[in-house]
Parts: sequence; C-alpha cells; structure tokens
Amino acid sequence: MTITILVIAFALCAIALLSTAVRARRNHAVIQAVRPLDLNAFRMLMDRDDELFLRDHLSHESFSHLKRRRIRVTWKYVSRIAGNTSVVVRLCENARQSNDPEVAQAASEVINLATQIRTQCLVAFAKLSVEFVVPSMQLTPAVLESKYQSLRENVSKLGSLQPQNVAPLASAI
Amino acid sequence: MPHDSFSLIWSLQILLKAALVVVLVSKKMWRKFPVFMAYATFNLIFGILLYVLPARGHVYYYAYCLEMGASLILGFGVTYEVFRYLLSPYAALRQLASSVFKWAAIVLVLLALVVLYVQYSLGQNTKHFQAFLVVEEVSRIVEVGLLMFLFAFAGVFGLHWRQYVFGIALGLGIFTAVELAGVAIRAYFGDALGYGVAVLSMIAFNFSLLIWMGYLMAPELSAGRPEEAPHRGQLEQWNQAVMELIYQ
Repeated sequence: MTITILVIAFALCAIALLSTAVRARRNHAVIQAVRPLDLNAFRMLMDRDDELFLRDHLSHESFSHLKRRRIRVTWKYVSRIAGNTSVVVRLCENARQSNDPEVAQAASEVINLATQIRTQCLVAFAKLSVEFVVPSMQLTPAVLESKYQSLRENVSKLGSLQPQNVAPLASAI
Repeated sequence: MPHDSFSLIWSLQILLKAALVVVLVSKKMWRKFPVFMAYATFNLIFGILLYVLPARGHVYYYAYCLEMGASLILGFGVTYEVFRYLLSPYAALRQLASSVFKWAAIVLVLLALVVLYVQYSLGQNTKHFQAFLVVEEVSRIVEVGLLMFLFAFAGVFGLHWRQYVFGIALGLGIFTAVELAGVAIRAYFGDALGYGVAVLSMIAFNFSLLIWMGYLMAPELSAGRPEEAPHRGQLEQWNQAVMELIYQ
C-alpha cells in the first residue's frame, strides 16, 4: 500500500510541476524585464580582499552578521544576472534563426555565453548558500563579472548587426 | 467493440487521434519530430484496431500488449526527442544536460526496480496481466521522472521552449502522470477499480491530444520587444545599499 501511495504522490507531483511550468510560461510571455546592473558595485561585493580586511578588524559575531548581509545583496545581484541572461537568451532566439549567417553566428555566441553565465549563477547560488550558513568559510567566487562583461560586448556586437531588434537590449543590460 | 458510455470517449479519442495525425502531416512534423509522428500514427492505427476487435480473445490481448509496449518505447523516444530539440540551441549546456539526463535515467531505473521488487515481493501479481501492469508502472515511473527532469532543468536554466515542443512535452507529461497513477491503483487493487481507472486514462489521453493539437496550431508566443524591457531606477538604490554595507 505504501509504495502505491508513494507512486501516486510522485504522479501528483509531476502534474503540479507541469501546471507550474504552464503558469511560468504564461508569465514569461508577459513579463520581459531586463534589469540594469552595476558591474563595479558587483565587483566590489565579490572582492575577497575586502572580506579579509573585515574579518581582521571585526569581531566574529559582527563579521558573520555583516557577511550575511553582504551575501543577501550579492544574492540579489546574481539573481539579476540570471534573470537578464534568461531574457537575453529568449530575445536572441529569433536572431539565431536569421537568414544572415553573421547575425545567426553572433546570436549563437551570445546564447552560448548566456547559458554559461546561467550555469555559473547556479554555482554562485550554491556557494553563497554555503557561505551564508557558515560565514567564516570563504569559497572561490564564481566567474560572473568578466563573463557578464563579455556578454554585454557580444550583445552590443549583435546589436550593431540588428539595430532594430537587439540594440535596445544591448543598452539595457 | 465496446458497448457502454466508455465507447463514446473511445470513439472521440479515435477522432482526436486522426485529427492529430492530420495536423502533424499538414505541419510536416515528421521532419522535426519523426518519433512523435510515429507515436501519433501508431496510436491511431492501434486505436482503430483495438476498437474493432472483439474485446475477449487472444488476438485482442496480444494486440493490446503490443500497443502498450510499443507506446511505452515510443514515449521514451519522444521524451528524448524533446530533450534533444530543447537543447539544440544551447551548445554550452548540451554536455552537462546529457550527463545529468543520463544519471537521472539511471536513478529512475533503480527506483523503478525497487518498485518492481516491492510489488512482486507482495506476491499479488502472479497473473500475466497483473505482471504486465507492474512492468508498465515501473516504465511510467521512469518516463514521468525524465519528463519532470526536463521541465525542472529548463526552469533552472531559463531555457526557452518553442511553442510546439512545450506542447508535446506537456501533453505527454499529463498523460503519463495520470496513467502512472492509474496503473499503480490497478496493480494494487486489481480489477475492482479497473473501469474507473480506464475511463480516467482515456480522458487524460483525450486531453493530451487536445493539448498537442492546440500547441501545434497556435502561433508562436512573441518573444517580446526589448524596448519594453528596461526598468532603470533601481540601480541607484543598489549602489547605495552596497556603499552603506561596505563603508558602515
């Protein structure tokens, strides 16, 4: 009986996941917000030297409190990067199917880079979660800032090839 | 040939299956989704065959088993086809996705084997048909699990589903999930709930057929215009928050 209940629960979870996917798809079609990001501020947040300085000059309790606040802010930045890359992928999808091989190639590169950043965001979320639980732990930060900068450049390049469709995106991210 | 209210749902299903094949042919979907095309065509042919065959007899039983087995195999094929198509624009993710997909499949097969072992160790599934239901149950566990993995993976990485790819995966997911619950109930309770489960399964498949047709015929959702996108203004707030944090 237990195994039957578990199997039925598994099937119900699948249906719940499918309904979530349908809702997310509907929302995705409506909300298309690229949110601007200050890379300099993000770089400062990810700066480990700064963290070392704080660790040396603050008590353990103050440092933990401060680091958790810092992680909360970093988390929001990473969420913003993840959200923006998702929008970039979606908006460059049409360009990837362009008849102009140069545009299609540039769009493919942008999509590739965006998916790499999205993967790095997941790594960053995992590391931030660990550091939030154990503030004294200092993990190597995910490589996000330089890749995001490359993404901007690539989107700008694509924007120069498709000014009417992609150029506004290039200035937005 | 069936002779009750079940017959009405079944007849409707055959009509919907035929309509789906017509839609697929008109959209030339065999080029992009040959396995799904085969799945739909096979379902239509066997749907008609099972409808006209006498329900009690060896021929019907073997036709039913053949239909079920082939549907399961083609269902796996469709899942893999959706996976490949979904990942095709994302070269950077393909390797990661393939290995995660492979591991998910291995874990699901192991889970299914545990279910198989537990169901058999209960000693209730000695009849051929009951054994067949258990095999279907474990296969459906793997199929539903792989589809769930696909949706979860696409959600986590923010992958863009094309309209018809999403429709194919959604329709298959709904049907297999309902079928899994139904098969689990039948495998445990036997024929007592057989009729109700069969009706539910038929309705779920009809619903999936409507989903497939709906998504195949609906126009692709617009990707939105980038001009609408940027909402500037929060940048300053973020800068301020960071400065406060660092210089406090």
